[in-house]
Amino acid sequence: MQAGPISNLIAELSKLPGIGRRTAQRLAFHILRAEEGEALALADAIREVKEKVGLCEICFNLAEGPRCLICEDTRRDRSLICVVEEPADVIPIERTGEFGGVYHVLGGALSPIDGIDPEDLRITELLERVNGDVTEVVLATNHTTTGEATALHISEGLRDRVTVTRLASGLPVGADLEHTDEVTLGKALSGRRSLS
Amino acid sequence: MRVGGVEPCGFRNLADSATELSDGITVFHGPNGAGKTNLLEAIYFGLVAHSCRGGRAGDMIRHGEDSGRVELNLEGAPGRVLLSSLDRGGERRHLLDGRPLSSALERPLVSVFLPERLQLVKGPPAHRRAHLDRLIAALWPARGDLHQRFGRALAQRNALVARVRGGHASSASLGAWDEELARAAEPLVKAREQAVEMLRAPFAGLAERLGVGSAEISYRSRVAADASAFAAELAERRTGDLGRGYTGHGPQLDEVALEREGRSLRRFGSQGQQRAALLALLLAERQALIDLGRPPPLMLLDDVMSELDAERRGLLCAALSDSGQALLTATDADQVPVRERAIAVANGRSTTLAVAA
Ligand SMILES: Nc1ncnc2c1ncn2[C@@H]1O[C@H](COP(=O)(O)OP(=O)(O)OP(=O)(O)O)[C@@H](O)[C@H]1O
Ligand SMILES: [Mg+2]
Ligand SMILES: [Zn+2]
Repeated sequence: MQAGPISNLIAELSKLPGIGRRTAQRLAFHILRAEEGEALALADAIREVKEKVGLCEICFNLAEGPRCLICEDTRRDRSLICVVEEPADVIPIERTGEFGGVYHVLGGALSPIDGIDPEDLRITELLERVNGDVTEVVLATNHTTTGEATALHISEGLRDRVTVTRLASGLPVGADLEHTDEVTLGKALSGRRSLS
Repeated sequence: MRVGGVEPCGFRNLADSATELSDGITVFHGPNGAGKTNLLEAIYFGLVAHSCRGGRAGDMIRHGEDSGRVELNLEGAPGRVLLSSLDRGGERRHLLDGRPLSSALERPLVSVFLPERLQLVKGPPAHRRAHLDRLIAALWPARGDLHQRFGRALAQRNALVARVRGGHASSASLGAWDEELARAAEPLVKAREQAVEMLRAPFAGLAERLGVGSAEISYRSRVAADASAFAAELAERRTGDLGRGYTGHGPQLDEVALEREGRSLRRFGSQGQQRAALLALLLAERQALIDLGRPPPLMLLDDVMSELDAERRGLLCAALSDSGQALLTATDADQVPVRERAIAVANGRSTTLAVAA
């Protein structure tokens, strides 16, 4: 049994994804032994991220302030919107260097089993964003059952309003973007196909 | 890829000692209760890490022991030693050279004939569908996940239908789930059709020669072949589904028919006809794998000879001896007229009596 503060820290750490009880213990003892400055820098970084980083009011990507860096960037092509599930999915697409448009982050994918319905995602916001200036919406939700169904649902909502494309497969079935390499993803972007 | 040897430890009544195995046909012979079936089960457990007999996994552990294990020596495989173990706490391990297997392709395929397997012919359609979907994975590994993908889409659609029915969700996204389900169904149905097409001729030929008469395997999905047509069928039946609370139409309900003279073997076949049809089916699957240039599965055939006459015993041996590995049990070695190796089993201990030159 550990004293209160340590077991608190272990409990908090083990809530992180991919961190089991034993790893949490190792991390906790590492923090305990670390220099005070180093350990507190971690605490500050966590506090800062929670205080300063929110969601972009346009695209719901992560943003320090009301808008994200991509929405602020005047060189980006606003007629082209790439729809992804999570903020983390923006990073690999940016890394390919193949995409010059802007994003829309849904905040997940449809999953009736988990009680996630269209109203739980930022789909209405997307449909509102797609006005006369937007010419193409690229659906880059994951190539999983839930990602595919989400893409189908959105393309239904956008039917006859705008060109809707889907990342070409070539991405393995069941793939999520976060774990796809740049070359494959770059090819999928340049080879996207029309859905409607 | 073949199994060069098996070494059980704490497994049923088998002695803790190694038995060498050959290519071609091997017969395990000995009196009732000797441990012949246990030896087949041990090899199956070594390959797959669960029992081929059904029942409780813990029953495989020798009475009075806390754990059991089987080690197989693989030859011509990426790894050398395949280990399966289990203990009474339910802990199970399946390791190739000390590491978990990354896919079933790392070990030999296996096909089993046991009295329990008669369920494949006699049992409800779900058994035959699941079996066919596993065969698809063996025939075309790249398509092995089609039935999981379909299963995920079906589970999601069912969840939505149930929630809409209960008033907990709107049906706004049901169209998307119809479409996703249909897109997952199309390649699965096509793969099932292709697999059954490959089985048709060899099954009919083998069943005939094994004495079933004119038998046929067939599969015709109840759903439209093309995804958008199936999606339209789902849309038409939406009211019914919402009333029922789940999806009442789709390839999850399809039957893989095994018939003799136009009538269901499941409903009208005699015990002997059902056994022979099962054997013909397993041999036809083996043939389909060979036809695709894939290695034939390890055949584990428990007590198949007892109900066959001399001519059919010869026929079975001929069908098995062209390539690969087959392990058969028999009370008397001479029930297997052609064999590479004969292993006598008595009180759980096996002794190799003869190896063909
Ligand atoms: N968990 C176990 N521990 C010890 N012995 C077991 C265990 N399970 C089964 N046995 C014994 O194994 C023997 C049966 O072996 P097996 O079924 O392999 O016989 P067989 O040689 O196939 O016989 P038959 O010709 O009748 O089919 C029985 O005597 C049974 O009591
Ligand atoms: Mg037996
Ligand atoms: Zn933004």
